[in-house]
Amino acid sequence: MKNVRIWFKKDDACRYISHLDLNRTMLRALHKSKLPIWHTEGFNPHPFATFPLPLSLGFRGVNECMDVKLEDDDFPFEEIITRLNACLPRGIRVFKVTEAVMKAGKVAYASFTVCLSLPGKPSGLVCRQLEELLACEHIEIEKKSKKGRKTVDIKPAVRDFSVTERFDFAELAIILSAGSSDNVNPNLLVAALEQRTGETYEADITRNELYNAEMEPFR
Amino acid sequence: MVSKDVERLLLKVQKPGRYVGGELNEVIKDKKDVAVRFAFCFPDTYEVGMSHLGMKILYSQFNSVPDIWCERVFAPWVDMEEEMRRHGIPLYALESGDPLTAFDFIGFTLQYELSYSNMLNMLRLGGIPITTEARGDELKHIVVAGGPCACNPEPIADFVDLFFIGEGEEVDLEVIELFRQCKREGVGKQAFLRRCADIEGVYVPSLYEVSYHEDGTIARFAPKDGAPAVIHKRLMLDMDKSYYPDNFVVPLVEIVHDRAVQEIFRGCIRGCRFCQAGFLYRPVREKSPETINAQCRALCTNTGYDEVSLSSLSSSDYSQIVPLLEKLTAWSGEEKVSLSLPSLRVDGFTDEIMNKIKTVRKSGLTFAPEAGSQRMRDVINKNVQHDELMQTCATAFAGGWTTVKLYFMIGLPTETMDDVAAIADLGQDVVETFYQTPNRPKGKSPRVTVSASSFVPKPFTPFQWEPQDTIDMLHEKQQHIKNSIRSKKITFNYHDADTSFLEAVFARGDRKLCRVMALACERGFHFDGWNDCFRLENWLALFEECGIDPAFYANRRRSFDEILPWDHIDYGVKKSFFISECRKAYENTTTPHCRLACSHCGAAKYGKGVCFEKRQDLV
Repeated sequence: MKNVRIWFKKDDACRYISHLDLNRTMLRALHKSKLPIWHTEGFNPHPFATFPLPLSLGFRGVNECMDVKLEDDDFPFEEIITRLNACLPRGIRVFKVTEAVMKAGKVAYASFTVCLSLPGKPSGLVCRQLEELLACEHIEIEKKSKKGRKTVDIKPAVRDFSVTERFDFAELAIILSAGSSDNVNPNLLVAALEQRTGETYEADITRNELYNAEMEPFR
Repeated sequence: MVSKDVERLLLKVQKPGRYVGGELNEVIKDKKDVAVRFAFCFPDTYEVGMSHLGMKILYSQFNSVPDIWCERVFAPWVDMEEEMRRHGIPLYALESGDPLTAFDFIGFTLQYELSYSNMLNMLRLGGIPITTEARGDELKHIVVAGGPCACNPEPIADFVDLFFIGEGEEVDLEVIELFRQCKREGVGKQAFLRRCADIEGVYVPSLYEVSYHEDGTIARFAPKDGAPAVIHKRLMLDMDKSYYPDNFVVPLVEIVHDRAVQEIFRGCIRGCRFCQAGFLYRPVREKSPETINAQCRALCTNTGYDEVSLSSLSSSDYSQIVPLLEKLTAWSGEEKVSLSLPSLRVDGFTDEIMNKIKTVRKSGLTFAPEAGSQRMRDVINKNVQHDELMQTCATAFAGGWTTVKLYFMIGLPTETMDDVAAIADLGQDVVETFYQTPNRPKGKSPRVTVSASSFVPKPFTPFQWEPQDTIDMLHEKQQHIKNSIRSKKITFNYHDADTSFLEAVFARGDRKLCRVMALACERGFHFDGWNDCFRLENWLALFEECGIDPAFYANRRRSFDEILPWDHIDYGVKKSFFISECRKAYENTTTPHCRLACSHCGAAKYGKGVCFEKRQDLV
């Protein structure tokens, strides 16, 4: 039995499905592919797959991953790519299969590209608004959780960022805390910006890469 | 494929995955290779529509013709509809993202009367005029409809250019072929429709004129321009050769029935007197176990589904059910596919079947005795005995089940308050059966759900002349059951009587209702099948405004010699048979099912199916 990490992109129509739907879609594809994946041994055996870090509905993911257990240790990784892609909707493409080097719990940071625009307003303005927000000592925002609402300061979660002015949008490249304990969703940042300026932005968000606590790319 | 404009709305609405297409097995074609574009519209949400088998069959069949491109359209939920209206985005098909106006055919499947308002609303959202008249004579935007509700097309006759009567697999393609021909000849829509009317199974309502008596009943129904006086249904005679998809579009979001579905036969041998489907799809035509097995396996392979449901009106009536389950279980376990067998009859749940499906999922068991007292079950010809039901429940309890759901109807013809109370008694008897079953699950208590819906008299049934109980009477009966239940182990649910009333109005409506429908569309009515949107008082106000009494349709007893709005349509079962069945109901007399004896309903005229099987007593 070998722990294998399957790397994929999630975009187009599949960008609009939730993590739960992604999970179901993946299980179905694994089932259809007849790859030698370890199945759960309950009453309804199904392929066993876990996701180190779920992706929010609406985000593009260019470096997403899913962990499975391979029953045949010598099974060629290349074939996993071909067979899975033949069983997946167009919006999900597997591009790489590796061994799972780091434990899933090691994820500590994620990098995002956030393209923000205000219809009818110059992108330079949005850039300035972003820079002003991120220059604040505290960025406080109300966060909804299972326990109710609470106000959190997301500034400490911002590891690094840069703002670039593009033709009709502002591009924010940002690294935020991620993982099971201190996850910060870039949507919170957009909400904080909206709270501050009173505007409604159009946001196109891509998650690029995951990192461990030492800022090494997650492998 | 969705446009940038649509993408902007998607993050503002619930479950945006319903509006984007892009699923596995979705069919995308190059427009320059396509001659005929067909928008297959389901007048309900994506989750409901994608669960519908008929749509899957026709979608695949149309798309198997290289130059026909069939795409899917669903009713956007209210939040999305609002966003689309606000931003001026017309209703679009999921595959191409093109608006309804880009299509030659706009086809609706009508599964329930309460979806009529959605049909009109979808046309309006798509920028298509709702009436045949307003759409003009150009040969495009042909609005077609089929499905069980097409058996009484009259309440929506003003809006649909042509109806498909019966099963669609062949007749749809014949109409499309005629369309190509008319397009080549440069013929207008009116002339095209006239020629369509000569195809068997096609009903063009604009070719008929209806006049009424002063009391509102029909005086005369007259064809114009040489159109046929009677429209005969179409049906597939050889189910083994009938088209069946080897592939389904596999949704990205969870839908109502998220599994592979394998049809095993059409029709039903039983002849329950309230059941429209049981008469519309006569005679019973089975697929062979070999065909079913092969189709099932292909479906599972191509979709990746790990669950397959065997579909029919009454699965345990499949004549070779045990050999079929043997064939299927020979590979399903190995391939980790589970089988489910819905629509089991009370008398069809045997040890053998139970053991085959037990390897699957232990969900609750559902049976439909439909009525509480034996007399009432004889009236509706359910042919289920009290002891059979108890035996079945005992079998299930012995097999480890503890949850049983029982479906009933209230408001059936001749029903008394004692018959209604018998529903509660039957629930009680099931609870007691549990405790009398020696090898029941130990340390557990039974859960019996009793569910009562309100009877809606439907066309093409022996009860088509019957009045529906008034809403007040139905409420009284619901209360009576509630008060008659004594055990905490029984949960009682009932369906809202208001929706059943509106369903009864449209089920047996005539063309005078078209005005009400048009007004409902103008006022933005939609999703009447959903409690979120349905308000009976709004409908009652519309009826009043149009000077129409809905009770005329729902609560009036018709005489056997009245011209019914659907009398010009022929589903193979003779009116004289319905009359004799209706009389037998009032005499508490049952009719044997098709395999026991032929009752000469008329469906033998098709020359195939159960009518020509060897009878059990002869074998």
